[in-house]
Amino acid sequence: MCTRRRMLSSTARAAAAILLAPAIAESKPQAFQETQPTTANGGTGPYPIPWLDKNGSHNQPAGPNLEPSHIYHFKGRVARCSTFTGMGTDNRGNRIAFGAPTTDYGVMDGEYWAARSAQHGTFTHI
Amino acid sequence: MFQGPVAPANQIHDFHPPIADSGLYWVVPVPAGGLDVSGDGKTWTLQMKDVPIVDQPHWPALDAVATPARMSFKMAWKSTGEPAIYVDAAKQFRFTGTRASCQMEAQVEVPSIGFSWKSDPLDTSHADIAVMGEEVNGRYFS
Repeated sequence: MCTRRRMLSSTARAAAAILLAPAIAESKPQAFQETQPTTANGGTGPYPIPWLDKNGSHNQPAGPNLEPSHIYHFKGRVARCSTFTGMGTDNRGNRIAFGAPTTDYGVMDGEYWAARSAQHGTFTHI
Repeated sequence: MFQGPVAPANQIHDFHPPIADSGLYWVVPVPAGGLDVSGDGKTWTLQMKDVPIVDQPHWPALDAVATPARMSFKMAWKSTGEPAIYVDAAKQFRFTGTRASCQMEAQVEVPSIGFSWKSDPLDTSHADIAVMGEEVNGRYFS
């Protein structure tokens, strides 16, 4: 049923829409004009190696016949190490060991592909 | 880091950078000059200071709380000269290099809990597995 209250309400919404319509129509082109033209090629950060480890992460274990790099679409220098062990001391004088079979580090230095072009950089996995 | 024998129950700290939105795993850029390669290419030394990291003592639990921390370190790889060649056509990578030794000294700080730690000197640490060389993968693999 179309009550008087409902009729007034819908009339008010229609009036508001008519009043706002020119503002909306004008604001869109203005917003586009203020946006500087840019490319849309994706970020320049490196891609991870696609394969997943047992934790569901893009983390490559270090070891014989395992890929040393953490960056995909890469060519360059790579160094890798794992199963690190060492000792240290905290600020309370406690002797605390660091390292475990999965403690690994790496460095990658060279060219990689991102944003549809060759990029250059040095990265470390720590 | 472990208090006592190395076992998950004894882990008291786990330091690493956050995983990137891209999925890139615990990888951060190295500032210019951070990697030094000796003239003969047989020794690589990586040094960085105050790298923003997190401390996640309960890693790898999905709900492991990450507390902001920072790390400074020096890491040195030295080639043994023994060849190491890894090739996997299915995974599109080829590594050509040598086996190496690797040692590290580091210090970490977790300011919010008043914790800091400094390792013993570089030559007291040890890595069972280390390699260094050249790699191509992905679109560069052929």
